[in-house]
Amino acid sequence: MQFKKLIATGLAVLMTSTAIGGVVAQPINENPLSDPRVRQAISYAIDMDTIAETIFEGAAIPADGLLPDGPNKPTDLNPYKYDPDKARELLAEAGWDSNRELDVVFYYADQATTDLMAAMQAYLADVGIKMNYRLLEGDIGSQISVVPDDPVNGPSKVTWDMLYGARAALALQEYFNRYALGGKPMIPNIPRMNELVAKVNGTTDPEIQREGYFEMERIINENVYQIPLYYQQLYTFESTRLNRNGAPYGNEQYNYNWGVEGWTIEPDASGKAVMYTNTAPAQFFEVPWQNLGIWVSNKFAFDTVLESDGDLLPIGGEMADTYSVSDDGLTFTVTLKDGLTWHDGTAITGDDLAWSIGAAMKFPITHPVVKSTLAKIDGAEAFVAGEADAVSGVSVDGNTVTVKFATVDPNVLLTFSQFAPLPAAQFEGVDPINLQQAPYWQKPIGSGPFKIDEVVMNDYTTLVPFEGYHKGTPKIEQIIASPSYENDANLLVNATAGKADFGYTKVASDVPALEALDHMVVHPINIPYTRMLWINQFPHPTN
Amino acid sequence: MLTYIIRRILILIPMAFVICFLVYLGLELTPGDAVSHMISPDMLGSMDPERLEALRQSLGLGQPFYVRFWSWFTNLIQGNFGYSTNGGVPIANIIATRLPATLELAAIALLFSTVIGCILGVVSALKRGSATDSALTVVGMLGVSIPEFFFGLVAILIFGLNLGWLPVGGRSMPGYLTFWDRVPHLVMPSLVLSIMLTAGVMRYARSSMLDALSRDFIKTARSKGLPEWRVNVLHGFRVALTPVVVLIGFRLPVLIGGSVIIEQVFQWPGIGIEFISAVRSQDYPVVMPIALLSVMAVLIASLIVDILTALIDPRVRLGE
Repeated sequence: MQFKKLIATGLAVLMTSTAIGGVVAQPINENPLSDPRVRQAISYAIDMDTIAETIFEGAAIPADGLLPDGPNKPTDLNPYKYDPDKARELLAEAGWDSNRELDVVFYYADQATTDLMAAMQAYLADVGIKMNYRLLEGDIGSQISVVPDDPVNGPSKVTWDMLYGARAALALQEYFNRYALGGKPMIPNIPRMNELVAKVNGTTDPEIQREGYFEMERIINENVYQIPLYYQQLYTFESTRLNRNGAPYGNEQYNYNWGVEGWTIEPDASGKAVMYTNTAPAQFFEVPWQNLGIWVSNKFAFDTVLESDGDLLPIGGEMADTYSVSDDGLTFTVTLKDGLTWHDGTAITGDDLAWSIGAAMKFPITHPVVKSTLAKIDGAEAFVAGEADAVSGVSVDGNTVTVKFATVDPNVLLTFSQFAPLPAAQFEGVDPINLQQAPYWQKPIGSGPFKIDEVVMNDYTTLVPFEGYHKGTPKIEQIIASPSYENDANLLVNATAGKADFGYTKVASDVPALEALDHMVVHPINIPYTRMLWINQFPHPTN
Repeated sequence: MLTYIIRRILILIPMAFVICFLVYLGLELTPGDAVSHMISPDMLGSMDPERLEALRQSLGLGQPFYVRFWSWFTNLIQGNFGYSTNGGVPIANIIATRLPATLELAAIALLFSTVIGCILGVVSALKRGSATDSALTVVGMLGVSIPEFFFGLVAILIFGLNLGWLPVGGRSMPGYLTFWDRVPHLVMPSLVLSIMLTAGVMRYARSSMLDALSRDFIKTARSKGLPEWRVNVLHGFRVALTPVVVLIGFRLPVLIGGSVIIEQVFQWPGIGIEFISAVRSQDYPVVMPIALLSVMAVLIASLIVDILTALIDPRVRLGE
């Protein structure tokens, strides 16, 4: 009897589904997008090679997985190369209703994104899928990130069918952390992914992490829980006046060993070595714990505890003279270099670092990777909840700070290679929740190679060398930064006018114009930044 | 007239209150809040919702909007403008640094457009039907029709990038000490801003002048043997000036918030661009005083126009 039941069940599965790449191909609820064949069909229907060459003018790399190429991504992923016939076949198998219209949303207001949406609409129409697209505005978070009350069965609280978004990761775990139960607004629970997310976050062993990344990539690839579209590159642009003198290039959105103190620039007509750049503040300097390396102050005016290379792999100390992680991964000890001072001449102490660790725990918009590391420190929870005056896991002995973790964190060194301590004395009486609102951020006193000299908000900011900087006084005599940003049309105007000797952009359409300038050199940098489609598999009101 | 002016000033207060309430309500109806704009959407999904909620509460965003509005209003009438939600900067500082930049731009644009617009309008009227009139009419139509950002970009391309005569943006540079140091930065944005204004004033002045020149008192003046320039300027232009003054008066407040495109194109750190930025980031404490400023500018300009009209044109009697 038992045997007969098993046979019957097996036959039923065979009759109602097609196994594709190990995936049981059938919908799991009334939403047809919960059928992997439909999701695979969408992948096959979009010709990313052509889109990358045309819309992105070759400045995008079609993606076959979430992770960028490298040792942590398996090489056997299905790239879902453009195959409209295969897409139609899968849709027919899945019984796709050609009258159903997919609602696709996005939150980038640039022309390239709109063009991409139009292209996707045409590609999907070619295989029999109707699609509309719309730009999300206002409170985008509530429209894309709200997890269902029932994260297993839904219904979803977001109403779209597909979301065009991105993952810009500092740590590779960030690509997958939302797959943990209760983290996803659009995908039903996947028990194995929960285990794997815990696995890559619970070890410092790169081999074990790699196993986890491989398996997660394969699961996502086979089931098409997301459709990776393309890897975005970052472009560093420099005028020919500027010379890095051999310093490396890297991911400019974060902190790395770019050796700016050794850079030189041809003097201007007055004989002064002045470098022009962008990312000056419009109203206030941003706390350097949120967007870790983006603003002029983060890059030039603050040092980090440790230092990483251009690929953001920790390679040594910056403010740290020595540091170590215990064998069990639960204790991080750092000793700051002797004689370090803030730009106002006061000493940088272990107490400053300890205060900064605590403040960053409470500051609500600390970068998620940094936050995740700090949250695992002993006593962090009680401190954040206001039940303790200090973090019990952080102790100071002169210039040495010892940090004890309650659980292993895989990114301790990465976090401290991006973490810039702040001068505690400047924040007396300031609740870290409102750290950004402190007067300090009108003209911060930093620790980096350049100190902030003159600030005219939304007009310009100047920085001058910090005499006696511990890695050597910078050679550039003055930096003049304008409040222009990578998505800003003024970036090109300033670059053309010779008012941008250094900067970066991820806007592919700006790259040909920058490259066309005789006095400008553009360096493409591979960064972990993947643009993708999230697919809403939960039942929702528009189904 | 004094009674009229006092009455108008008293009416300003409830009008400003109601308009500010409507602005506040409009902001409230916009999805999201200041906190949701502090974090990029790409990063938002990884943030801790409880900490974000704590931030909302600490910034006072958890209270009902009418409580926040009343709190803002009562602070305002006590002279407390408050602080920016996003950066904690005193609003008074923001206005004190940004408003002069915008007024500087607006004043020069208004002065230039008024003088040049009136001269060209009068010349066009006096040479009605001539090639000069036709040429000025075409130029005027182009000035009114083509968006100012286009003129801005063309000006940057020609004078900033190709010829290198003028800076492409910004209001000042390190080492500038006086107004005259900043003049090269001011030239392009103020002239571009004045193009559309000049064209408008010119068209208005021309029509008004033609209307005045057709009046009987002009014929009377000519019949009395007055010199032609005196007929045109003292008799014709004075009457023609009334509608032009109304136009210019009503443009003054528009210039405060209306130069935002020019501020954007020329990277000019004015109040208009600050206003747009604050609206986008739902920074109510910044939006409201600037909105109030604009409201008051419109209402006061309206009052000034009435008074000036009465002074220029003796036939106008205020309050009757």
